[in-house]
Amino acid sequence: MPGMKNIKGFFEKYYTVPEGVTVNWIIVPSDGGAYQAALDEALLNQANADADDKVDMFLAEADYILKYVNSEATQDITQIGVTDMSNTYKYTVEACTDTNGVVKGVSFQCCPSGLVYRRSVAKEVLGTDDPTEVQALLSDWTKFEEVAGQMKEAGYYMTPSFAETYRPFSNNVSSPWVVDGKLNFDAKITEWLDLTDRMNAAGETIPAGILDAEKNEASMLAEAKSFCLFGPAWYFNFCMGPAWEEGTGSLGDWALIEGPAAHFWGGTWLLAPEGTDNPTMLADIMNTFINDEEVCTNLVVQDAQFSNNKAVNAKCAADDELGANELLGGQNATAVFSAMADNIKFQNQTIYDQLLNEGLQAQFQQYLKGTVTRDEAMANFIKYVNETYPSIVTE
Amino acid sequence: MNNNAKAKSKLLLSRTVAYLVLIFLSVLCLFFFYLMILNSSHSNFELQGSFTFKFGKFFADNFNNAWNDASIKIPRGMLNSFLIAIISAVLNVYFSALTAYGIYAYDFKLKKIADAFIIAVMMIPSQVSTVGFIQLAYKYNLTNKLWLLIVPSIAGPATYFYMKQYLKATLPLEIVEAARIDGSNEFVTFNRIVLPVMKPAIAVQMIFSFIASWNNYFTPSLLLTKAEYKTVPIMIAQLRSADYSKFDLGKMYMFIMLAILPVMIVYIILSKSIIKGVTSGSVKG
Amino acid sequence: MDKAAKLSKRKSVSYAKWGYLFILPFFLVYFVFTLYPQLLTFYNSLFENYMDGLTHVGPNFVGLGNFVKLFSPDATGSITIIKYFGNTVVLWILGALPQFIFALILALFFTSTRLKIKGQGFFKAVIYMPNLIMAAAFAMLIFGLFGNTGPINKMLVAANMPTFDFLAEKISVRGLIALMNFLMWFGNTTILLMAGIQGIDECLFESARIDGASSTRVFFDVTLPLLKPILVYVAITSMIGGMQMYDVPQVLTNGYGMPDNTSSTMVMLLNKYLNPSRNYGMSGAISVILFAITGILSLIVLKATNKED
Repeated sequence: MPGMKNIKGFFEKYYTVPEGVTVNWIIVPSDGGAYQAALDEALLNQANADADDKVDMFLAEADYILKYVNSEATQDITQIGVTDMSNTYKYTVEACTDTNGVVKGVSFQCCPSGLVYRRSVAKEVLGTDDPTEVQALLSDWTKFEEVAGQMKEAGYYMTPSFAETYRPFSNNVSSPWVVDGKLNFDAKITEWLDLTDRMNAAGETIPAGILDAEKNEASMLAEAKSFCLFGPAWYFNFCMGPAWEEGTGSLGDWALIEGPAAHFWGGTWLLAPEGTDNPTMLADIMNTFINDEEVCTNLVVQDAQFSNNKAVNAKCAADDELGANELLGGQNATAVFSAMADNIKFQNQTIYDQLLNEGLQAQFQQYLKGTVTRDEAMANFIKYVNETYPSIVTE
Repeated sequence: MNNNAKAKSKLLLSRTVAYLVLIFLSVLCLFFFYLMILNSSHSNFELQGSFTFKFGKFFADNFNNAWNDASIKIPRGMLNSFLIAIISAVLNVYFSALTAYGIYAYDFKLKKIADAFIIAVMMIPSQVSTVGFIQLAYKYNLTNKLWLLIVPSIAGPATYFYMKQYLKATLPLEIVEAARIDGSNEFVTFNRIVLPVMKPAIAVQMIFSFIASWNNYFTPSLLLTKAEYKTVPIMIAQLRSADYSKFDLGKMYMFIMLAILPVMIVYIILSKSIIKGVTSGSVKG
Repeated sequence: MDKAAKLSKRKSVSYAKWGYLFILPFFLVYFVFTLYPQLLTFYNSLFENYMDGLTHVGPNFVGLGNFVKLFSPDATGSITIIKYFGNTVVLWILGALPQFIFALILALFFTSTRLKIKGQGFFKAVIYMPNLIMAAAFAMLIFGLFGNTGPINKMLVAANMPTFDFLAEKISVRGLIALMNFLMWFGNTTILLMAGIQGIDECLFESARIDGASSTRVFFDVTLPLLKPILVYVAITSMIGGMQMYDVPQVLTNGYGMPDNTSSTMVMLLNKYLNPSRNYGMSGAISVILFAITGILSLIVLKATNKED
């Protein structure tokens, strides 16, 4: 999703393509499974395709990467020359390891995700904008809800979209969406539904979608009335555009903490398809983005990303000048993310996650808007699952 | 005298009502598109502020951002859409006219059955064949092939129906017979004599066919999965889902305008003849 | 006499092949690209056949299993396909009713020799224009304009009125869909009906007027009956179009047909089954139903018009 759009920029900036090779990007937005549909088709045709039409490298995200990792369409990257993964984070390797333990790709970024809050609002309502003190006030969901109540009282929304809190829960489920072919509601998902229900009823959040203009207006502008968002490093420059606007935005008025639950959001994996006719270059690209110290440092310092290289991140975390983030008023974001990154677990994922997550939020949103009952929303979600994935049994 | 005055004031009243209704509907038709143009001239920040009827200064910026967007390649989409629509329109109209003429002007055994068949299938929604169509396209690796969306337009039952009605009303078979006596080949007769007579109907149906194809979203959205083959409606629908391009509202309105404007410009130039073509269609007879 | 008879006889024998030749491309293309896929669609409706990720499941024969599934009530007791059919009909009527009424009125305005409307060219050009608008783009535009932070709500705020979540409430979502359909089609219908009215021999109007008939009488006794063929044509195409309603509600609601699927149409359901799992079985079954419904509706219309003739 997010990486899809910016990786091309990073690729062109940091990777020098050997002479005589032109890289043909095929960019497909990921919503509603469009990217997956296009990719599936290309991979299924890989054997028959002309050399120039063959897929030589493709990208995948956490929500659906397993589908490609556990298929014969991808190959072992240690065989093409990517062997040193000692600097990368564990979850980024787990995500692209198939059931037999074969590694099929690498991620060019690591995406621990934290809570970003408005300093001015924190100062006004909580009496401090210091990240350590704010973290102490928001270290679990009970405290989070308490603060939400305080925010409401002071005339602020806790979050500008009901779906902001979804990832911290869905990343920490103890069972996947589908167990033995049956749809499974993990306790964490139910917990999220309940929390969101309460917060919405109390007027502490808005039933606006996570990508809606309404959310941006409620959170990013100078005079916006929201306290916090959840997001990884790419979120700052990619989803918070309006906040960066000089004068009208909220540049420098943000700070990053871990929040109530460690989680991650995405990662953009480069996978090696079977049948590529350019394995050397592919390995070279992968090595560049995980092992080239200069490139990884630039990703952090110039582009405010969180690289998938522990040594580089540690170096930037230790140096407040290198890690300083303008949006966060100079806070060293890399230091915060580094502390979280080692604990990320890639677990309980299925090939259905993207559309199930999207569908659940869309159906529940209707309940939050008051147009259906919660039972009806859940029934509509089940219906959505049946229509979207005939193989999933729902009882 | 009194009667005359009464009639006059009655006429004045009906005229006023007529103009009011017309003006109301015209404003309704234009209002949303006026807002679209207005909003495409504002920056994202301005659009997030309070609403204004004043035009902004960001029209060119929004245009550049939309035109050069990396994920929604609108220039490519417009080219794809145009190619499909124009070729489809020509094929649709020509072959439907040919078929209508074939059934209208000749006597042959299957004539009645053929006519009844087309009229019957005219009622079948095009979506009924979509499932099989998609299945075949995937089976024979024909997804992302633009011609696959063009060729089926050769058979347009609705166009046929219109053309046949038109022929019935406007083409005396004596003309055809006269041509025959002059030794004209049947195919030449159709192209040289019948087609010109059908000009108004052809113009109307060309436009309808072009619009239908330009606007067509359902089947193309299931077949065109690669960015370089996508048509405009597919790209516009992407905006509605979670495409990051919509974070910039100015750009979003610009995309919509780009999808609409080319056809509007053509329409502004041709509207007179289009409407004349439609209305003069069945006058003769 | 003899010669002419001979000529016409020879003509009917030797020209038949041209008839076949002229209709050949049409039928060939129709059979390959429409009829065969249609039959395939029907055939599919009897099988379980879909993609599960990259794995192809089926085809397995299930008889009428897909139809049984389609007509089974969900957890809330409603039957999706019936509910969506109802939605489709309601959405069509909401748009078509004003469309036909206004189109007829405008057609009469424009053709009235009494009113002598000026600026006809302009008015016609304007009211026909929305027909050219891409439905997906129009829906996207309305989504932007009527969204919670869109200009319409901002105007309401400026006028000190309460804002309204247009895209959440049944009445407004359906209303917006109907409004778009109305705007897109009433101009087109007006022009078609005008063509019909102008095709009526002016002498008929003249003689009716000379006989002292009021303009209402002229309308019901002369205009309307003579307009019937074109009205039927426009009605049939509008109805077929209505049953296929997809682009506008799909884009406006991002495929969710909110609230509570009350703006979901039959074809939106078809699309859900086709994307992403390419469920040929279930979508085939929906197609069969769609086919049956339009078939029945068309027959009713055909029969009604034939009876009166």
